[in-house]
Amino acid sequence: MSHLLTFLSSLAGFVALAMAMSRHQREVFGKALAQPATRRWRLAGWACLLLALVVVVFREGWGLGLVLYSGHTSLAASLVLGALVVRERLRDARATPRAAASRRSA
Amino acid sequence: MKRGKSATNPVPGIRQTMSDLHIWTGLLVGWFLYAMFLTGTVSYFKDELSQWMRPELPRQAEVPDPAVVAQLVAAKVQAISPGTSQMSLRLSDARNNSVNVFWRKPNEKGRRAFAEANFDPRSGEELSARETTGGDFFYRFHFQFHYMPAFWGRWLAGFCAMFMLVAIVSGVITHKKIFADFFTFRWGKGQRSWLDAHNALAVFGLPFHLMITYTGLVTLMAMYMPWGEREAFRTPQQRQEMSAQLSAFIQPGKPSGEAMPLASVEDMVRQAQARWGQYNVSRVTITHPGDAASRVAVTRGEASRVSMSPQYLLFEGSSGKLLEVHDSVGAAAETRGVLYALHLGRFSDAVTRWLYFLVSLAGTAMVGTGLVMWTVKRRARLPDPQRPYFGFRVVERLNIAGIAGLSVAMTVFLWSNRLLPLGMAARADWEIHVFFIAWALTLAHAMLRPARAAWVEQFYAAAVLLALLPVLNALTTDRPLWTSLLSGDWVFVGTDLMLLALAGLHALIAWRVTKHRGTAAKPRRDAAAGARDMEGARA
Repeated sequence: MSHLLTFLSSLAGFVALAMAMSRHQREVFGKALAQPATRRWRLAGWACLLLALVVVVFREGWGLGLVLYSGHTSLAASLVLGALVVRERLRDARATPRAAASRRSA
Repeated sequence: MKRGKSATNPVPGIRQTMSDLHIWTGLLVGWFLYAMFLTGTVSYFKDELSQWMRPELPRQAEVPDPAVVAQLVAAKVQAISPGTSQMSLRLSDARNNSVNVFWRKPNEKGRRAFAEANFDPRSGEELSARETTGGDFFYRFHFQFHYMPAFWGRWLAGFCAMFMLVAIVSGVITHKKIFADFFTFRWGKGQRSWLDAHNALAVFGLPFHLMITYTGLVTLMAMYMPWGEREAFRTPQQRQEMSAQLSAFIQPGKPSGEAMPLASVEDMVRQAQARWGQYNVSRVTITHPGDAASRVAVTRGEASRVSMSPQYLLFEGSSGKLLEVHDSVGAAAETRGVLYALHLGRFSDAVTRWLYFLVSLAGTAMVGTGLVMWTVKRRARLPDPQRPYFGFRVVERLNIAGIAGLSVAMTVFLWSNRLLPLGMAARADWEIHVFFIAWALTLAHAMLRPARAAWVEQFYAAAVLLALLPVLNALTTDRPLWTSLLSGDWVFVGTDLMLLALAGLHALIAWRVTKHRGTAAKPRRDAAAGARDMEGARA
């Protein structure tokens, strides 16, 4: 249970942090968001990461908690990056099959 | 690499300096680090791998009571070696289906005096499994290598770990856009993509990479820097106190010469179980059993305790009376205990162990991408790509054997575990010889073949060998995948499935490298595009 909560909260945190970056806003929303919206995403992201830390340290203690936190945040961040890459490649493939084909072989 | 240089300033900036430091320290020890990382990563499943490599030992459906097991095996060892001055039992647990014991043979000196054997926890009989080092080979190799004295191997590993620390710190300084590029991966852009991948693998696992390198040095710190403790602890008494802070391993004192039978070991373990939990007892060490001066130490397990500091109960062997309770150590020793435990991760439950494995695998890939990038970056600038200079060829070929070749060699090691004749003399040693022979052959292959073909062939070879291992297992043992699945033998199921997954990964890499060939006909254009990307990144 600690694992699941920590992982999901970290994942949500990194998704929100990615959405607070203009490069990924353009990819996902099609345009860069305004400053207040960006700030809200960033705040939500850090809040989720903090929540994950509080949850895991509260449930498992500092020693084990910090170890699990490190592992789950590493995994969650990698998955967010992986999802962004897959999303971009799928979109490219759908939008311009030929361009994507040439990109793939590059 | 990002460069903070400007044309007018002949003195390189801090980032440029750090970038050069990162590149060259990385290259100097990169192949060792890659091998240490990969074999170390696999070692998180060392106990499971050892089980898979001893298919004769039956699956352990449930963990037998440690107290009963300790009594049974201790009596057996006493019967085998009467008059032994010391025996140490690693009890069976959820991950180990045998009791590993070593003891001192009476009337022999030096290394020959030690005997080691595995025992069946249920019957107490000595097990006759195939002779193999099991998962311990990769584990030992990852910090002391092989074919050299352990002392030199450990110094070499420490030297590499020290450079790894340098590479991590200089890498962080070099990578000036850690936050801006946090989720950035630019696909299909040659060197740029390699750098993005290298950065992502490094940044996401950064806490782990720093921790594992630093704690790796801590595990062997007494060997690397012995002077402090030599100064601080001078008398034998002081040294004994220090070693009690570091390990529960009790040394045999002088026997009294008065015969007195060993009291019930079972009862002593029961007292430990009452304190720490039924299955939280890992080791029983007995000195001078059958003598009035006998001592028994029962050590606490490592489950859910982020510390390797020794916690043990010391009993008088003849009476079974509790003499000492060691349940805490000094602050300095505890710091070491925690750092040590962080490195080994033995406190882990299954999920945590997988996290360790995955992040460590990412660390392996980080070192690997770093090594490959050295050539990717320089290939773009080669005056004649068909005839690279000598240093380039050396790095390129060592990369192939060091990365793809290691996968082949490690898989061949497992093949030899199944194929070498069971009665063969020095069988366990030959498994290891076969590993190194295979590795040497991949180096020869890498030197003889064109680089790209060598990469592809070796990755495909690893994929095929990995994919066929479950088949070989089905043919040479009575524990094929389907039987394991039906009987819920998760160690064998997990290992077989993992081998298939790794086969898929290697095939995927080989396939990507093959596809990459399509554009190799116009490398100069790619190189120019790559250079433009770099300029863009710098601006």
